[in-house]
Amino acid sequence: MMKGSALVWRRTYGRLTSVLLLLLLSGRPEGASVGPPGKPRLIGCRSPEKETFTCRWEPGSRGGLPTQHALYYNTENSEKVFECPDYETAGENSCFFNKTYTSIWVSYNITVVARNALGNASSDSIDVDVMNIVQPHHPENVTVTLEDGDNPYLQVKWEKPHMVDTRSGWVTLSYELCVKREKDNKSELHFAGQQKHFRIFRPVPGEVYVVKVHCKPDHGYWSEWSAPAFMKVPDYIPREKSMWILLAVFTSFILLILAWALVLKKSSVKHFLLPPVPGPKIKGFDSHLLKKGKSEEIFSVLIGQGFPPTSDGEDLLVEYLEVSESLQQDPAATPLPEAKEQQRDWSPAPFADSGQGPSVHHTLQVKTGEESATRSVKQTQAFGGPLVTSSSSQAPKPDGKANIISSSSSLRPSCVQETLYVAEVLIKGLPPATQQDRQVTPAGVFPCNSPVDSNYTQGETGHSGNRGTAQRPDVSPSALKPTEYVEVQNVNQEDRLVLRPKAKEDIGDLWQVGLRGQEYSKVSEVINDHLLLLERGSTLAGPSCSAMEGTVEGRAQQQPAKPTLQQGLNGYVDTGSMLAPY
Amino acid sequence: MFRKLKGPVLFLLMFLDVQIIVGSTPICVHGHTGCQALSLADLFDRVIQHSARVHGLSSDLHSDFDQYFLPSKINRNCHTSYILTPNGKENAQRLAGEDLAGVILKLLLAWRDPLSQFHRSMAQHEDFTSFSGNKALEMSDMVQQLRLGVERVAETMHLLGMISNSVRGLISKEALGSQASGSEARSMTDQQLLYCFRRDSHKIQIYLKILKCRIAPEQGC
Repeated sequence: MMKGSALVWRRTYGRLTSVLLLLLLSGRPEGASVGPPGKPRLIGCRSPEKETFTCRWEPGSRGGLPTQHALYYNTENSEKVFECPDYETAGENSCFFNKTYTSIWVSYNITVVARNALGNASSDSIDVDVMNIVQPHHPENVTVTLEDGDNPYLQVKWEKPHMVDTRSGWVTLSYELCVKREKDNKSELHFAGQQKHFRIFRPVPGEVYVVKVHCKPDHGYWSEWSAPAFMKVPDYIPREKSMWILLAVFTSFILLILAWALVLKKSSVKHFLLPPVPGPKIKGFDSHLLKKGKSEEIFSVLIGQGFPPTSDGEDLLVEYLEVSESLQQDPAATPLPEAKEQQRDWSPAPFADSGQGPSVHHTLQVKTGEESATRSVKQTQAFGGPLVTSSSSQAPKPDGKANIISSSSSLRPSCVQETLYVAEVLIKGLPPATQQDRQVTPAGVFPCNSPVDSNYTQGETGHSGNRGTAQRPDVSPSALKPTEYVEVQNVNQEDRLVLRPKAKEDIGDLWQVGLRGQEYSKVSEVINDHLLLLERGSTLAGPSCSAMEGTVEGRAQQQPAKPTLQQGLNGYVDTGSMLAPY
Repeated sequence: MFRKLKGPVLFLLMFLDVQIIVGSTPICVHGHTGCQALSLADLFDRVIQHSARVHGLSSDLHSDFDQYFLPSKINRNCHTSYILTPNGKENAQRLAGEDLAGVILKLLLAWRDPLSQFHRSMAQHEDFTSFSGNKALEMSDMVQQLRLGVERVAETMHLLGMISNSVRGLISKEALGSQASGSEARSMTDQQLLYCFRRDSHKIQIYLKILKCRIAPEQGC
């Protein structure tokens, strides 16, 4: 039995093999039969240096038989056909034309023919002019070096492809680089023209640069890329150092200039930042004495210049009108400004707090009886001018007294100061209680019209608590007619306004002359206890006056902003010039 | 006696002066300072740039034509075939500078009329855009400029003693030759004309480069 099965196996094995062979023989991919060769295809021709060129083709089907290819060409000028002179040099399926066979500016008509035992097949012809098919080899010896220094850079150098003659001008090559950073994976193309070197500035430290170059003739094809050159940039390259140095130098330069400018303008800068506190501008004023607190000495120093002028003509002294506020109305209360708008209390303010010395800010105040239609003080004039006061039209109460407290700025020890500032600043917080004294003489304040003086007559309206004036001609407000004018004769030593009433005939002149703005201005209103509204020089009663906001708080201030305030030689305000605009 | 001769002598001198004035633009060899005219190398560079532009235009026009017209069997006999031109590097290098300059000038002169004729015929073509028409006009103008430039170069070389024959000698010979081939030029088709001119403009460019690298080889050689 075993032998029988082995036989069967052998037979099947043989049959299988034969079938397989048959299948193999029949299953040839080329075709079932041999035949003439397939048509070859000319790939193209290329010249690397414009002196030789190579044509390549692709063979068609071989037809099952060994085939041979032949390349035939003819030039444009003749019909004679030549065969390829060299099939080997350029490799398989190629034809190499060396210098002898190459002519530029001549058109070649090239054809490839494939032959085998059974037939021929010729390719399509192509026309080739060597001037158009130049494709050089790639550049050679590409090197990358790192040039150190303040500005490190990568220097790339290469050489022209061999066999290309650029020296005679026969071929002109242009180069192009491809620079790639490995970490970044970005590549850049840089055209380098005809030069054979290139610089890559600001290399990134720690990066690896891959550089390759290719070239192109004037009218031709780009070559292949050269072999890449690698360059690892070390990490220690100091970058942007110079920039920081430059920045530091620039900044220090600017700072130097600023400092120099500051030094130059030191005084003005200091003045700008810390405006100086104006000091007193009183002649003979000594701040040191004040600091010591010896007021008497100060005043004596201030006085010692023969001022205020003593009154010579006592006969000229008629009276002075002392107007004080009525105490009966408000004996206990502070003589605050009443509801009536025109009654104002001005308290002489020792501006001791301002430290400027005797603040002889007596305000000239006319305050008549309460039910009277009080008038504001129309005018208190400085020396020489008529004192225009208005008294109430009624008979004044016995206690209605108008206290004329002449105002004086502390600029001067006299009570006659800027007439404009007759209205005195009511120092805030000053006890109006001082007003209670008709003749207020707080310490350190010069009462302009101190009743103590016996050299002159004062008009005082029955004020109790007088300081013992001597005889006084009774000039009660009742005696005063409305808008009766009083002329300030002068100011005596104790800062009293020496007044005399003006004759009526004078008054008329005054109205015409003075009120036109020569010397007088009517006080139309008093505002806020420290503003005198003076009327313009006109007979019209109207609030056409400009408010003389002489808030002479810091009386030492000259208030240079006021153009009308002009100080005379001895510091007195020149009324004439002052009131000129009126 | 001399006073009598003074007038005619001055008269003669004037004529001589004219000759000098015409040709007296100072020519500076490269390297001389204080000279405001162009050096020979600069002249060459300019002329080569011109020729490169001309060749570029001719290539563009040729490819434009190929798009519009079926490439017919081109008769590759150009009307400038009678001009013997070196067709290889060694052949070109063997030629003397004078001959090379002469060849260039001949070529340029031979193409003057056909190019203007071509431009006129281009204007009548409806298939072409004005862009191509502009190229043809520019090409024609630039060839004229190029010719003047090459003449200037030849003159300079002659003044410098590099070539013996003057430009006028070269040109005058070729004036006859160009008239002979005039009929041939008129029979060319536009395509043929462009094909031939593309080749000839390339020749001109290469010859100029060879001449430049031989005479003034500083940059680009």
